[in-house]
Amino acid sequence: MKTYEDLPSDGGSNIMDQVIDQREQLRRRLDQIKHKVCLMSGKGGVGKSSLTANMAACLVLRGHKVGILDADLNGPSIGKLLGVSNQEKLEITPEGVEPGQGSMGIKIMSMDMLLPSADSPVIWTEGKDATAVWVSTMESTALQELLKDTIWGELDYLLIDMPPGSDRIDNIRDLIPELDGVVEITIPSPISQHIVSKSITKNSQLGVSIIGLVENMATYVCPHCNQEGQLFEGEDVEKLSKDKQIPLLGRIPFDTRMSRQTGTGKLFIEEYGDSVTGQAIAQVVDNILKFIQNKSN
Amino acid sequence: MKFLCIPCDEQMATQVDGIMPEEKNNLVLKFKCKKCGHMIAMLTNKFETEFVSKLGVEAGGPSDMAKTPFGMMGSTLAEGKEELKKAGPDEGDFEWTQEAKDRIQRVPFFVRGMAKKTVLNFAKERGIKVIDGALMDEVREKVGM
Repeated sequence: MKTYEDLPSDGGSNIMDQVIDQREQLRRRLDQIKHKVCLMSGKGGVGKSSLTANMAACLVLRGHKVGILDADLNGPSIGKLLGVSNQEKLEITPEGVEPGQGSMGIKIMSMDMLLPSADSPVIWTEGKDATAVWVSTMESTALQELLKDTIWGELDYLLIDMPPGSDRIDNIRDLIPELDGVVEITIPSPISQHIVSKSITKNSQLGVSIIGLVENMATYVCPHCNQEGQLFEGEDVEKLSKDKQIPLLGRIPFDTRMSRQTGTGKLFIEEYGDSVTGQAIAQVVDNILKFIQNKSN
Repeated sequence: MKFLCIPCDEQMATQVDGIMPEEKNNLVLKFKCKKCGHMIAMLTNKFETEFVSKLGVEAGGPSDMAKTPFGMMGSTLAEGKEELKKAGPDEGDFEWTQEAKDRIQRVPFFVRGMAKKTVLNFAKERGIKVIDGALMDEVREKVGM
């Protein structure tokens, strides 16, 4: 009787060929992008998306071509932050899907661009019978399609705005093995640092390169006198950085004008790049660029 | 996974037409021996199906859905933009009622292409242009899956 090895294929599905074909399509797309950086935090509400958008703007100001993949499938906010309305028509061609053109020419792809209205949730047709495993499967495939089918074109940097938590990094490192690294974002609260430390440990154990740690909302800047004050009674982020042996890329003060910009499509950096907060974001970006340059050398 | 017809010692081939899986997370695949014509069906429960679906591929080979950008999302998002839904494969002169569209969407995405082909071929053979719930019930009854 014939054995498994004697049979030439899987009987018509060509599963292996399909997987290889998908990977090749993804590779062709990713090969046009020089650097890929993830911005993540184990904790929600630390300002990841807002920081991602403004860091992208800083990169554009330094002459780079930039795109953002909104990997937060269930809580997408990049479109709103960069002024891409979800009412804009989706351009689908046989070559792929055109990304949204956000503020300062930043290319974006976000689940929000696929949904019919601002309050539409991401629900898969399997509906209420869907198990958590099933939903997770749909999300993994969705992430692959967002990366593979978006016509990113040639980019210097693709920033990936991750959802809260650290589970999505498993998908990303599988899809983008050449990932330059992750930037871990925290705020000074003990809870945040407790959770972010787990995210850092996980990435270290997975062998994912960690570019460094950013402390967002480190202080509060008075919009009237530009003086800084404490916002949280928190733990020392430098201790976390030392304990985990990862660089502290910078501390970013909270500026109320940043939250006021949300939804206007105009980025904080565009108008307040010279502010204390604007300069702190720029410093973080420069530190990331240094890391990538050193790694390339 | 491969299937072998023991009496013929021949590999069984996946049937890409003539299946109508349940509109849940169950998988049905038919295999036929090219030599003697004997057929078997592989049935999986939703947990087993989830493992298969993790690969993001389609049983029976890639359908037109796989070649469409955002094909899985376009056919699986319960609420998606019209242009995303319309980007799917051209179905010629056939019109699907909302009920039929909803039902075909409940078929797991990696066998949906095969199920669609079965329904379309069934309709074509009978000169039917509108695909509705009643026709899908008939397909299910005749195809027996």
